[in-house]
Order: sequence, then structure tokens, then C-alpha cells
Amino acid sequence: MKSKLVLLSIVFSLIFTNSIFADPKQLVGADANYGEHLFGECVTCHNSTGLGKGIPKITGMKTSQFITKILAYKSKEKENAVMQMVAERLGEEEINSLALYLSKLK
Amino acid sequence: MTKIKRRTFVGLAAATTTALSMPSIAFGALPRVVVIGGGAGGATAAKYIAKDSKGAIDVTLVEASKRYYTCFFSNLYLGDFRAYGSIGHNYYGLAVNHGVNMVHEWALSVNNAAKKVNLGSGESISYDKLVISPGIDLKFESVNGYSAEAQSKMPHAWKSGTQVQLLKNQVKGMKKGGTFVMVPPPNPYRCPPGPYERVSMIAHQFKKSNPTAKIVILDPKNKFSKQGLFMEGWQKHYPGMIEWISAETHGGIKKINAATMEFETDLDTFKADAASVVPAQRAGRIAMNAGVNKGDWCPIVPASMQAQADENIYVLGDASIAKSMPKSGFSANSQAKVAANHIRGSLTGSKVFTPRFANTCWSLVATNDGIKVGANYKATAEKIDKTSGFISKTGEDSNLRKATYEESIGWYSGITSDMFS
Ligand SMILES: Cc1cc2nc3c(=O)[nH]c(=O)nc-3n(C[C@H](O)[C@H](O)[C@H](O)COP(=O)(O)OP(=O)(O)OC[C@H]3O[C@@H](n4cnc5c(N)ncnc54)[C@H](O)[C@@H]3O)c2cc1C
Repeated sequence: MKSKLVLLSIVFSLIFTNSIFADPKQLVGADANYGEHLFGECVTCHNSTGLGKGIPKITGMKTSQFITKILAYKSKEKENAVMQMVAERLGEEEINSLALYLSKLK
Repeated sequence: MTKIKRRTFVGLAAATTTALSMPSIAFGALPRVVVIGGGAGGATAAKYIAKDSKGAIDVTLVEASKRYYTCFFSNLYLGDFRAYGSIGHNYYGLAVNHGVNMVHEWALSVNNAAKKVNLGSGESISYDKLVISPGIDLKFESVNGYSAEAQSKMPHAWKSGTQVQLLKNQVKGMKKGGTFVMVPPPNPYRCPPGPYERVSMIAHQFKKSNPTAKIVILDPKNKFSKQGLFMEGWQKHYPGMIEWISAETHGGIKKINAATMEFETDLDTFKADAASVVPAQRAGRIAMNAGVNKGDWCPIVPASMQAQADENIYVLGDASIAKSMPKSGFSANSQAKVAANHIRGSLTGSKVFTPRFANTCWSLVATNDGIKVGANYKATAEKIDKTSGFISKTGEDSNLRKATYEESIGWYSGITSDMFS
């Protein structure tokens, strides 16, 4: 229920605002420090320096692409048991914070 | 809808001010964290405290070895899927990239009142907060007849290193059509699916070079992790080679004899041509010395990983009672990040976030046949509670199993770079 609402609000903003994610200020509730902290969970598997063999590299990913993928895992449209589980407990604030932090990474 | 809290950035200046205002810290000195054990828990904790505090905390890592050979993927080395060198790592990145003070010595004892760690060399190091992540010690005596002396005849290979090399050598040299006996440990132990992945990798070796060999598993348990998946895989890839005998069926291992390679049970006496015996386990000795254990393991505060017995000590990884998380490298890495955030918060006043824990364990059953199990956890007052999880399914498509195996390779590279670079 709660996650559906979060999903809806993000999906709506995706549909109705053209280039919303180009401007990090519009990432609702985003906090880069929180994003950096949460990113710790990603790098257990996503190599932040290497080639991304077996598991894709996520640094350098476009903000909009990142959000679309996470939402697709959250709705279970996109397959992968680990990523579905990771996305499951990410709310809007978490997704946006991660997106903001990722956008600042080179 | 998630409630949005405002978070403030605590920069270096603010952090230092907070630290200096703390009475226990001398003027001009940085708060000190000492980490004992540079494995999955300790290396991660040392790195994250140093990295995130950006110089505001002095971090020392006490690790006996100069090179850390992971237990994870040591089974893949047994099966010829990895070279031995590829599972060894050094501490260059922690020292050079993150400014962690590396001390390659044994921590001998902890003086909780004086907040000091005494080293093998006779030196001692002071701490404001101490992290203990020493992994496990083996309770050799838990298997009647097994001992530190017998370990080269029947390697446990449960702490990686030369024991794993020795085991591989014995597997490869086993006589044609011989019997390999595997004795897994009783619960709780490091890496629940580990013994069964090991059997899979040994079977993979035998299939190539010794196809009439047999593997007998004398289990002190009546069920095991990913059982349905392993059993299905053994049937498929190694039909007739592996026999798993539960405690109920063999009635208990009464005695083993390393000289004659015999395993005495109620059911029968089994004679082995090669064997691996993994005894029961307990937290690494230094945890007992610091007095943070209760019996074999260390109770912790779920939200922070602080020892229940001493708020200035954090216990991570295998040594802790992190129920319901399994004892795995992934778990230790996840717990280390929770502890690092909490330690930094208490020493510099930085924001402490709601703890989030996770684990996934991949296992390899045969070439391109990977399986996995994972869960999310949250801290409650009593324990680290599972909130959701998944496990591979029997009868899965071979492409999915191949992708799962490849994912495990990605994970290995991810976690080791997270720990060491
Ligand atoms: C065969 C096998 C396969 C495994 N596979 C996986 C897997 O696929 N995935 C997974 O997540 N986990 C796996 N594991 C489990 C994983 O290895 C452990 O859970 C993990 O290493 C625990 O981390 P830790 O920090 O508690 O201890 P460790 O990683 O063991 O680190 C402890 C370190 O402390 C040092 N130390 C101890 N005492 C002292 C002292 N007094 N002074 C100085 N240094 C000290 C030791 O030298 C060691 O380097 C596997 C284990 C085995 C045995």
C-alpha cells in the first residue's frame, strides 16, 4: 500500500514532468549524504572501480535510468531476485537520495 | 508516503569541534578507533570509518596476516574455477587510499577499563571505540578424535589458507574409486551452505578425473541450507556419487581416527581415503578475552552491533549473535556499515541512519549452475529480524543458473573491492 503510493507518485512525476531528473533539486526528499550512506549497500556487489563483470556497473548511470530501473525491480517487472529484494525496501526518499548521490559521482 | 526528514551536513570542522568537546579526548587529539581483525567485518568497518570521517577519526586495524585469503570462493578454488592467487588480498588500499594505520600483529588481550588493546609485541594501543571482528575459532574437541594435530590428515579448511590448498591436493591425489568423507559442522557455524558447496566442488573434480569415487557426508544435522537445491543438483550432475547421511540415520559420530581414517557411527564404521572434518565453532578468542561473549558467541545490540557487555566495543561478523542473519561474509560486510555509521555518529556527532542489514549467499553446484539465497533484515529490540527473502527454485532454467553463477563472480569482485580498495 505504502510502497504503491510512493511508486505512483514517482511514476506520475516521471510522466508529467518532462526532464524532472535533470534537476537534482526536484528529487523530492533527496539528501546526498543519505544517498552516500545507502550506496554502501550497493557496493557490496556493484564494483565501484572494476569492469562490472557478472553484475553491471552503476556508477556513471544517468539519474533517470537509475530511477526507472529501480522502479521496474520494485514492481517486479524486471527480473532478478536480489535486485527485487533491494528495491522492495527503498522508498521515494531513499531512491531519490541514491539518485542524487549517484549523479554526483563520476 | 515516506516521511521526509531534514538532514544536516556535518562537515569536517563541525565534526572536529564535537570531538574536541568530548571530555575523554585530549586537546588536539583525534578520537581513536581500533579494529581487531581485517576480514569481511573488520576490513569493511575500518575502511568506512576512515573514509566517511574524512580524517576526523584515527583508525587502526590490527590484523595478524599481511594477506587475507577469503573463505568465500575457496570452494571454487577446490573445483578449479578460481586460481589460488585470485582469492588473496592485501591491505594496501586501506593504508594508502584511506589512511588506515595497519598493524600486522596479534591482539592478545583487551583492557576494557583502560580502553587498551595489548599486542603480541608488547605494545598497546588506546581506543575510544573498539571493533572486534576476529571470525571463528574451531572447537576441535567437538568431534571425538579430531584435533589440531589431525587437521592435516583431515583438513577442515574452514579458515582458508594452506588448509584449503592441502585439501585440494588430497582430493586430487585420492585413489581411483576411493571414498571421500565430509563431516559438516553442527549449527551455528560460518557459512551454512559452505560444506555442501564444498561437496559439490569436490564431486566436480572427481567427475573429471576419478569418476568412480564416492562422497559420504556424515552430517551432525538432520537438514541443511539450500538442501532441496543441492540434492537436485547432485542428482543431476553427479548421479550416484554423493550420499548424504543425516544424524538421525547414522546416530552420531562416536569417534574418528585420523591414523586409520575411520569414522565410527551407530550405523557403521566408514573408512575414508580422503576427508574433510569441520568441527563446531565459536567466536575468535580475543572476543572471550574482551569479555563480550556469552558462551561461544557474542550478544550484540541489534541496532548498532555494540556488545551487550561493553558499549565501547562492537562485535561484527561470525563472532556475533546476529540472529537471524547467517554467519557470512556478506552479513559481516553489512553489519560493518551499520557499526561504522554508529561509531562515527557517537565520536563526531554525524547523523546516525536507521540500520539496514542484508545478506545474499551464492553457491556453485556445477559448471554454470549457481544458486542463491538472500534476505533483508531490520533491527528490533531483541534481534536482527528478517523482513523479506528469496531462494533459487528447483527446476530453474539453465540460463538463469548461469546468470546466477556470473552474478556471484560480480559479487566477489564487488565485496573484495569494497573491503580492500
Ligand atoms: C568454505 C567457505 C565458503 C564461504 N563462502 C561464502 C560465500 O560464498 N559468501 C559469504 O558471504 N560468506 C562465505 N563464507 C563465510 C565468510 O568467509 C565468513 O562469514 C566471513 O569471513 C566472516 O567475516 P569476519 O570478519 O567475522 O571474520 P574473518 O573474515 O575470518 O576475519 C577475521 C580476521 O581476524 C584476524 N584475527 C583474528 N583474531 C585476531 C587477533 N587476535 N589479532 C589480530 N588479528 C586477528 C584473522 O587473521 C582474520 O583475518 C564462507 C566460508 C567458508 C569457510
